[in-house]
Amino acid sequence: MRSSIRTWSSIAAVALVGVCWSFFLGAQPASAPPEVSPIPRTADGKPNLSGIWIANGALMLYAGEDAAAAARAADAAIGRAPNPPAEPPPYRPEAEAKRQEYLARLGIDDPMARCLLTGVPRIQFRPLPFEIIQLPDRIVILYEIHHAFRIIPTDGRGHPDDMEPTYLGDSVAHWEGDTLVVDVTGFNTGTWLQGVGTIHSEQLRVTERYTRDTFDTIRYAVTMEDPAVFTKPWTLYETFRLRANERIREYECIESNEDLLRFEKLIEESAPFIAP
Amino acid sequence: MGIRVTLLVCAAALVTGHAAHAHHSFAAIYDGEKAVTMSGTVTRVEWTNPHIHFSIDVTGEDGTVTQWRFEGYPPNMLVRQGWQRDVTLKRGDTVTVFGWLARVEPQLGFARWVTLADGRKLAAGPPAGTGGR
Repeated sequence: MRSSIRTWSSIAAVALVGVCWSFFLGAQPASAPPEVSPIPRTADGKPNLSGIWIANGALMLYAGEDAAAAARAADAAIGRAPNPPAEPPPYRPEAEAKRQEYLARLGIDDPMARCLLTGVPRIQFRPLPFEIIQLPDRIVILYEIHHAFRIIPTDGRGHPDDMEPTYLGDSVAHWEGDTLVVDVTGFNTGTWLQGVGTIHSEQLRVTERYTRDTFDTIRYAVTMEDPAVFTKPWTLYETFRLRANERIREYECIESNEDLLRFEKLIEESAPFIAP
Repeated sequence: MGIRVTLLVCAAALVTGHAAHAHHSFAAIYDGEKAVTMSGTVTRVEWTNPHIHFSIDVTGEDGTVTQWRFEGYPPNMLVRQGWQRDVTLKRGDTVTVFGWLARVEPQLGFARWVTLADGRKLAAGPPAGTGGR
């Protein structure tokens, strides 16, 4: 203990000498002191989300059980709290009946299985990584799956006036403290939200919150609002893990997608599946 | 058929417990309650997206040879788990495969584990009912 006090006293003394020396020279310090925050920041002081990331829930599939175990151990070592558990989608009865129908058909209607663009937020949860590139006026997300990308302005502009409904919608963002808040709207109805049969209407509005809470992780909370299908907003939580020394690779989904034929055959034959 | 196939019953939870990451085709194409383990010789490896396939010749106790085809992870997920195209799994290799049978198509399965002749056990695909794309 005494040794610790002595050490800190020495550090403080050295720091004081440095400050006085700068003052004596009549100059500002040549550079700001090293950032002590565990998270990197950009020149404007915002948390830097840049990096290659993978959803925690997909880590075992993507990188194996050892990688998943290492992530769990890293969380435990710093006492990082787990995310709230996922709640089922709060569907209105007619929408829930539709979801149950899709579940009973065992996913053969899944648009993703046809290599169509996976929408927001489902694309964030896939077991293939994505890269965030943070620029002063926008954030770009490059997804390995589908060769997809999102360009998300952060310069204060709103959604364009001429939006057409699309798979990924239109995204704009702003910062609330250290959290990037992304507003996504302008969706078509060609995607599922997260999980088999999680349908939505064109009224869907998605709010994503990205908070880089440690160097290696981003906390992600996504709220889906759609009064046409939901009785209340639906929020899911996930952690994105930094994948150092990784790169985004090519993934041409349609190359040899035998599911197209298999599913069409099953649909044609109305195979008597049993609900899971 | 004389083919040494061991059918096991899997917990239904394996199929339903990971709905959030449900494989796009697993439940529709494969039966997570029909696990299978078989050994054979690799005759073909299709290193393609969205998922790989490989085929093995399985010799039954009566000498009958039957070709089985297995689906697995996408190549991009395999390489991140240490697989190398044309190196890790190649024609002529003797392997033991654990996976699940297709519901309808004969001699088709989804591979979870591939054990190589040197004893290495490699993840070839996701657990039943989980992601993969």
